[in-house]
Amino acid sequence: MSAASVVSVAPVVSEGPLDAFRIRDEPYYLALADEVSLFEAAYAARLPVMLKGPTGCGKTRFVQHMAWRLRRPLITVACNEEMSASDLLGRYLLEDGATRWQDGPLTIAARSGAICYLDEVVEARQDTLVVIHPLTDDRRLLSLPARSEALKAHPEFHLVVSHNPGYQSALKDLKPSTKQRFGAIEFDYPARSQEIEILVHETALAKDLAGRLVSVAEAARRLKGHGLDEGISTRMLVHAGSLIRQGIAAEAACQMALVRPLSDDPDLVSALTASVRACL
Amino acid sequence: MTNLPGGTTEFVRALWGIEVRVRALSAGADELVQRRPRFVAANLWLPATPLVGVPGSFRDYLFAACAHISAHLRFGAPRFQIKSLKPAQIAIISLLEDARVERLAITHYPGLKKLWAPYYEARADGAKTSLSLLARLARALHDDAYVDDDSWVSKGRRLFLEGRAEWHDPSFCRRIGSALGNDLGQMRVQFNSKDYAVQPAYRDDNIGPWQFEQEQSEDGTQLESEGVRPVESETATSNQRERGAPEAHQKLDANGSERASGLRLAATADAPLVTRHPEWDYVIQRERPGFCSVLERPVVDGDAARVAATLSRYAPARKRLERSALRLAHRRPLRVRRLLDGDRLDLPAAVAAVVARAGGTAPDPRVYRRVRFQFEPPALLLLLDLSESLNAVPPGANTTLLELARGASALLATSLAGVAGDLAIHGFSSNGRHDVGYFRFKDFDEPYDDRARARLAGMRANLSTRLGSALRHAGQALAARRAARKLLLVVSDGEPSDIDVYDPKYLIFDAKQATISNRRRGVTSFCVGLDANAEESVTRIFGAGNYSLLDQLESLPERLAQVYVRLSA
Repeated sequence: MSAASVVSVAPVVSEGPLDAFRIRDEPYYLALADEVSLFEAAYAARLPVMLKGPTGCGKTRFVQHMAWRLRRPLITVACNEEMSASDLLGRYLLEDGATRWQDGPLTIAARSGAICYLDEVVEARQDTLVVIHPLTDDRRLLSLPARSEALKAHPEFHLVVSHNPGYQSALKDLKPSTKQRFGAIEFDYPARSQEIEILVHETALAKDLAGRLVSVAEAARRLKGHGLDEGISTRMLVHAGSLIRQGIAAEAACQMALVRPLSDDPDLVSALTASVRACL
Repeated sequence: MTNLPGGTTEFVRALWGIEVRVRALSAGADELVQRRPRFVAANLWLPATPLVGVPGSFRDYLFAACAHISAHLRFGAPRFQIKSLKPAQIAIISLLEDARVERLAITHYPGLKKLWAPYYEARADGAKTSLSLLARLARALHDDAYVDDDSWVSKGRRLFLEGRAEWHDPSFCRRIGSALGNDLGQMRVQFNSKDYAVQPAYRDDNIGPWQFEQEQSEDGTQLESEGVRPVESETATSNQRERGAPEAHQKLDANGSERASGLRLAATADAPLVTRHPEWDYVIQRERPGFCSVLERPVVDGDAARVAATLSRYAPARKRLERSALRLAHRRPLRVRRLLDGDRLDLPAAVAAVVARAGGTAPDPRVYRRVRFQFEPPALLLLLDLSESLNAVPPGANTTLLELARGASALLATSLAGVAGDLAIHGFSSNGRHDVGYFRFKDFDEPYDDRARARLAGMRANLSTRLGSALRHAGQALAARRAARKLLLVVSDGEPSDIDVYDPKYLIFDAKQATISNRRRGVTSFCVGLDANAEESVTRIFGAGNYSLLDQLESLPERLAQVYVRLSA
């Protein structure tokens, strides 16, 4: 959840040792249900995994944790509309008058047996995503037309994508042919006690105050569909908690981290503000 | 009706997940007792104007009141039976019940205590009247740090706090309350229920938790009539219609909408196509499914030449608009690769060329790329509110609003013919929920030709504005388009009204809901408001920033064009 610990890969990856993508220290993750064993089983069966759930509920942290657990390097690609197939696969570069092939993040992962994590996969154009198709069925093959290479994926290679079905319009959805290649794990916000535990761990807040922040989030989540597209996420709570740790008063921290980012509607803002005050 | 500050229903939902209806307390209610909030089941009546002598902002007061009432709703028991209780006992039991539900609520939301604290003003001195003693007891039960050495107050506090373990039992208050009431009687403190107003002022008037045996029906109907039914009139005929209607609807729906239209309007020569749309009732916070009928009515042609004449008045605006439309056409960046000539090297192509040369084959000379700006025009639906108010001649103008709306439509259609992809010009006017007339002057995929111009010329304004239904209907038409962006441009005074609706907020909230559901369908709405004073309702319906209010109504055609250019960019 904290930005510093996310391994991000720009479209062009410099070819370095995969060590940079290895996660040495255990990323904190509190298992909410059986997602860890589900993921491990999917990994053992080499079934690509799709993580679904609202934003900020811990999908990315879960992948980092699983990569650490399975001792695999993790290569993360934040998908966007401009992303082309060669941004995933790789391209030729010029170096000292000669050309050199540069693997893209997906190719690196497939070659070396890393976990490739395509974050917010629906943001990528559908025709771009087709390149993962042969990689995600029993062929486990990555075709690199520019190199005339058909790369057989490393046995340890694993593909994980995330996607938040909440706010995407009908225009942005995965093709059924893409969707059907994945097993999906559904995420939701943690239960109250778990969320408090997470918050205490991430922000070192007192348990009582963490509980009050979680109450704010629970209140806001009741408004989902009643003016709010998404409730207050665990990530937002961590933001509020870190502001409080910086010495900001709890109410001001909640305003900044929870209320203001969530809505511009004056009625909702005052309802949320009153809820914050009721909880603190 | 006075508007209450918004957000209270959302607040109660956020706290407990309870759905309430909030209405302004009718003015008559404060003649007998000092005004206090009231609730009966999930119906809340809140003062519409600030109470005299209540500290802090009015909004804070309302939220405190809602928090208190919602604590009753969450932790309250089935209503108390009055039986043989005396007025003083009722007041004391109510006070204890208030404290009980608040204490329980505070265990869930500790901040509520601070929310309520400013309203406790009782002090442990002065005359010991029943009013002051009750207020002091209320404070003593709320605030453990409050010092009061009055023996009655101390006893009340002691009994209440000692019974902590029994707070979850609603009969607890009744038990200790009866005793305290007897004590008060023995102290010869007079209690006059006529003078009594609950303290602190954010608390409700104690009607909610009690079951009034004889008065029950009278009381209930009285409360109901205070504003529960804002939609239909209270007259016998419309009540009848209201009751009969749902059944009739189901039958009609079962037979399909064409059949329905045939039944309903058998007398009309060309039966319009009827579409049913839901309507949002903010009082029950629910959609009433199939509540409104939108009837597609044919437009009687007018003289197409007249539109052309109108348009000539806007020649300068037209020129400007055409220019901006052209500029628009060059916006959106599009990377064009593999060009013989361009601004920047197309790296992959250049590399491929060098590789080819190194390998001894003929390189592809197209190694440049260029960023071109491409404009993807949104699908645009111009929706005109054709209610009676459009026949007015705005001050300072020499023509009616209708004429201006016609000019604006013509200007938009003409100037954008070359650039804008999909354009439709529709209008609506309503005559009750069963008859929302909908007119298509120019539809998507239709050329803007003499036939469209003739229809524009035939545009007329009458009747009322059931905005929400029209928004839903237009949104449906727009959502079916293939464009990446879908823009619903509404020209309206922004104050929906209809003959069968008496609560002005009702249609505003319905329209807001329609805008939200349109947005969910990928349709962006924007309002060009003809009434500069309607900012409040326009903001509520379309959201902050999604409207532009006209001060100079004659400038409507130009402004509409500007808005289009701005939104499409």
